[in-house]
Amino acid sequence: MISIDKYAYNSRLRRRDPMQKLVFAMMTLSVCIWAEKIIISIAVIFIMGGMTVLKGGTPFPFFLRLLLVPMIFLLVGVFTIAVNICENQEMLLWAIPFAGKWIGFSDASLVKSLKLFLRALGAVSCLYFLSLNTPMVDLLAAFRRLGMPKVFVELMELVYRFIFSLMETADTIYNAQNCRLGYSSLCSSYRSLAIMASMLFIKSYKQSKALYTALEARGYEGEINVLEEAYESHWGWYIMAVAVNALLVLFVIALKSITGGLS
Amino acid sequence: MNENILETKDLHYIYADGAVALKGISIGIKKGKCTAVLGANGAGKSTMFLNFNGIYRPSSGQVLFNGKPIDYSRKGLKELRRKIGMVFQDPDNQLFSASVFQDISFGVVNMKLPEKECRRRVDNAMEQIGITHLRDKPTHSLSFGQKKRVAIAGVLAMEPEVLVLDEPTAGLDPIGVSELMKMLRQIQTTLGITVVISTHDIDIVPLYCDYVFVMYHGMMVLEGTPKQVFTQKETIRDINLRLPRIGHLMEILKYKDDFDLDDSINTISEARIALKDWKARYLKR
Repeated sequence: MISIDKYAYNSRLRRRDPMQKLVFAMMTLSVCIWAEKIIISIAVIFIMGGMTVLKGGTPFPFFLRLLLVPMIFLLVGVFTIAVNICENQEMLLWAIPFAGKWIGFSDASLVKSLKLFLRALGAVSCLYFLSLNTPMVDLLAAFRRLGMPKVFVELMELVYRFIFSLMETADTIYNAQNCRLGYSSLCSSYRSLAIMASMLFIKSYKQSKALYTALEARGYEGEINVLEEAYESHWGWYIMAVAVNALLVLFVIALKSITGGLS
Repeated sequence: MNENILETKDLHYIYADGAVALKGISIGIKKGKCTAVLGANGAGKSTMFLNFNGIYRPSSGQVLFNGKPIDYSRKGLKELRRKIGMVFQDPDNQLFSASVFQDISFGVVNMKLPEKECRRRVDNAMEQIGITHLRDKPTHSLSFGQKKRVAIAGVLAMEPEVLVLDEPTAGLDPIGVSELMKMLRQIQTTLGITVVISTHDIDIVPLYCDYVFVMYHGMMVLEGTPKQVFTQKETIRDINLRLPRIGHLMEILKYKDDFDLDDSINTISEARIALKDWKARYLKR
């Protein structure tokens, strides 16, 4: 999570208007989910990966590693779809007998699971494009412009800011406990962890009060208002987003008319 | 002419749990000067500061700003906090935004100025503090010293008349301390802003401050220029503080080793002059 944050701040696309990136990512994500085509899913992965790696400057190995994260969940999920139980061995490509029936993969179930797998990966790559090129602060600015309730945006902002502070504190407490053998046995580990949790709560509460005082000293009146950053923004990006997705949609329609909506 | 920008008259403050933090403080802070409030931990420095800008209300007594008692109405407090900028000890408690730029802009935006003016002030403040290069950095990637500077910039952008800093040098490395104090001195002289700091870093006081108040257990025990205050050696030692290192050295040289030196000297440059002078006298003999 922290490295995603780091790459987002260093992305070459960072200064681009977050709204444009959001629109591009969401549009492509919708097309990818709607299309249900293997080729489209692969295309989306390549487009988003290419944009992130070539335009944004995220190292390719890191992007690959990120794609591996949902892979485990996906494989497990997809496996259950690919496996069929059948009474007739002929219907399955490969099967093993089990309690008088057959368990195995069929032609259709394999295609179906592959489709689902790639579709999910395509959707994830859209989100990775967004999060690897848009720091949270910019994304929140886009949400604000979209008219999301202020309370939510402010909460998200504060949560994001203090997650790092909380992790740092937790780390310090953990080290301090570890130095005094707080994690030497299972029993003491549980105890230390409980103490840490309660300490974190108390510290957070204290810090929130201190923060409120500090905000008050700068004229806080119940609303956090700040200046928005100036972003690079011209229509080219919207046109690009629409053009890419129109191409994908056209391609899908063409495919459907050729194959008669079969695959 | 009343040159005190900030004054307290018999200020008492008692916390909700009954702890008495301030016991009748009467001080006057001079306009355009750099004033230090010295005191051991728990002497009441922070409590007094929070009384300055109306975050706390005195249990009895008065706080006066520019000769007038503080107006505790909503509007009055808003005006007061615009004019008295407060920088807290732990920047992590003050910086709420993940973006340096947005955090600095918070106070200015609350003043409801036109956007162009807000941007100008934010840019100005970043330049004065020397953190323009941090503008696009996320807050959580900054070092402690950098966070401290961002916190100061966020207050300075509001263009206050008084800049109150609670333990500004605590937790900084030696270079960081002298850089920060030089910067504050520069803000004070070039922008004419009154600077008030609390500290228990005694050696910076004779170097960078014009006037000192010494607090002990919620009371003001000494006040004066650093030179005047540090000649009250007994009192200083009684309240768990010490002399500046150079002052201590001069005292030992004078009283233990019978050097003919002025023991009210507290800085290296003054000591150097005095020692050179002593050498010249010695060689003449």
